[in-house]
Amino acid sequence: MSFGCNEMEKYDRLEIRCPRLGGEVTFAYCKQESGNLPCPRIITCWRAYIPVEAYLKETLTQEEWNRCFNRPPKGKVDTIFELVEAAKKRKASPP
Amino acid sequence: MKQVKVFLNEDEIPRQWYNIQADMPTPMSPPLHPGTGKPVGPDDLAPIFPMNLIEQEVSTERWIDIPEGVLEKLLLWRPSPLCRAYNFEKLLDAPVKIYYKNEGVSPPGSHKPNTAVAQAYYNKVFGTKKIYTETGAGQWGSALSMACQMFGLECKVFMVRVSYDQKPYRRLMMMTWGAECVPSPSDQTEAGRKILAENPDSPGSLGIAISEAIEDMLTDKNARYSLGSVLNHVLLHQTIIGLEAQKQMEKIGEYPDVVIGCAGGGSNFAGLSLPFARDKIHGKDIKIVAAEPASCPTLTRGPFAYDFGDLAMTTPLLPMHTLGHDFVPAPIHAGGLRYHGMAPIISHLVKENIIEGRAYSQLETFDVGVKWARTEGHIPAPETHHAIAAVVEEAMRAKEEGKEKVILFNWSGHGLVDLASYDAYFSGKLVNYELPEEEIKKAMETVGKYPKP
Repeated sequence: MSFGCNEMEKYDRLEIRCPRLGGEVTFAYCKQESGNLPCPRIITCWRAYIPVEAYLKETLTQEEWNRCFNRPPKGKVDTIFELVEAAKKRKASPP
Repeated sequence: MKQVKVFLNEDEIPRQWYNIQADMPTPMSPPLHPGTGKPVGPDDLAPIFPMNLIEQEVSTERWIDIPEGVLEKLLLWRPSPLCRAYNFEKLLDAPVKIYYKNEGVSPPGSHKPNTAVAQAYYNKVFGTKKIYTETGAGQWGSALSMACQMFGLECKVFMVRVSYDQKPYRRLMMMTWGAECVPSPSDQTEAGRKILAENPDSPGSLGIAISEAIEDMLTDKNARYSLGSVLNHVLLHQTIIGLEAQKQMEKIGEYPDVVIGCAGGGSNFAGLSLPFARDKIHGKDIKIVAAEPASCPTLTRGPFAYDFGDLAMTTPLLPMHTLGHDFVPAPIHAGGLRYHGMAPIISHLVKENIIEGRAYSQLETFDVGVKWARTEGHIPAPETHHAIAAVVEEAMRAKEEGKEKVILFNWSGHGLVDLASYDAYFSGKLVNYELPEEEIKKAMETVGKYPKP
């Protein structure tokens, strides 16, 4: 059984309520919520409806999979510190 | 005539917030600074938050006085009523009394202003001139906008574009309360410009919006950042909900067997439950349930029930065996999805078995949310549906066991600005597609053959 891109595009317009945003989003949005990577919650949210896990295993590289799903969750304070450091760097060397 | 609502007089409003860190069975690990690897100290947080809120963030004092300036504003809608859901009880036909704390009575319609007002007040006292934040659908952004207006502070909200376009009403609420609401990604920050250069039609994300809010905040030394959930001081401010509820229940001679709240970041859940968690820590026999979203169709058709994966809180939602189905959890579920964005205090209390987590699918929660609206009248926010789903589950359990129960839950907000979500549900747009059983089975078999990542 294969879940290639074309096969999965039929699901792109399906809508689900995003628990993070508090509104409806499409599957297409969830697939790219983190830039070119899916939202870390995508499997939790979608697995009951479509074969999202199998699809992602086919379409993501091992490294992308790990970046998306196998990293330990960061605390909010950690995230904020990282964003502060990143913002300082961007300010120091704008493109 | 039966008493439906229990009120507190204004002079009975709690004068202190409750800080559960004083009563934790085991101490919480402090967050570590990613740069130094050492525990984060107040000075590390100083460029981001005002020092008076940082002191609350790290405080282990059990009780913290609520300033008069905060109480004056909270009195606009607080104390919120404790209500008995007689009509919903009748529908369920179970041996339960259902009480709910109606947090939908605040001006923006949710529990969020309980901390927004406090944060705006402390920023004002500290000398902050402008507060930055990010918001998804705008519940937090609108609450903070109102609070900033109350204390004469500027407010700038980066709103995720997909929500900005979809949710005009909360955006307009923010504008009405005088805030600047910017769709994110925007051209106002380096972070936003970078995203737009790569994808001019980017719908944005919370990650981008928070990056923009923080970057923009750092350009102004008189500005600070504000967060509506997760952090300790946010949960602290929300405890006024549970403290009021305790007084109200005492007035009618009741005490809950079960306390329930919906948990996204954990703030409304914590607000109601932490004062009761204190009672539990000190020996009270009470169940405390955090209800959160998952797509798993536990009641409708699926073979899996979700539960917390481990006690170390390093794992996310794990599918557990139900109905005898021999399902081996896929490795993805050990990756940490579950706790993205969950308040550390809540995670810690789960680890200590003070709180239990349960997940409910959106379709089952909308079903009970609509039933609630059709019996009790008030239309709940979709987030609140999860708490109602847990109430139903507890009521059905009581019926099965033939035990009487008193259930208390946090009705965290109304859904009048979320009617588009109801429309999506009624029109069948909200994931009305479900795989045939056979196809799900095949998919799971396929997944099981993949090597572990």
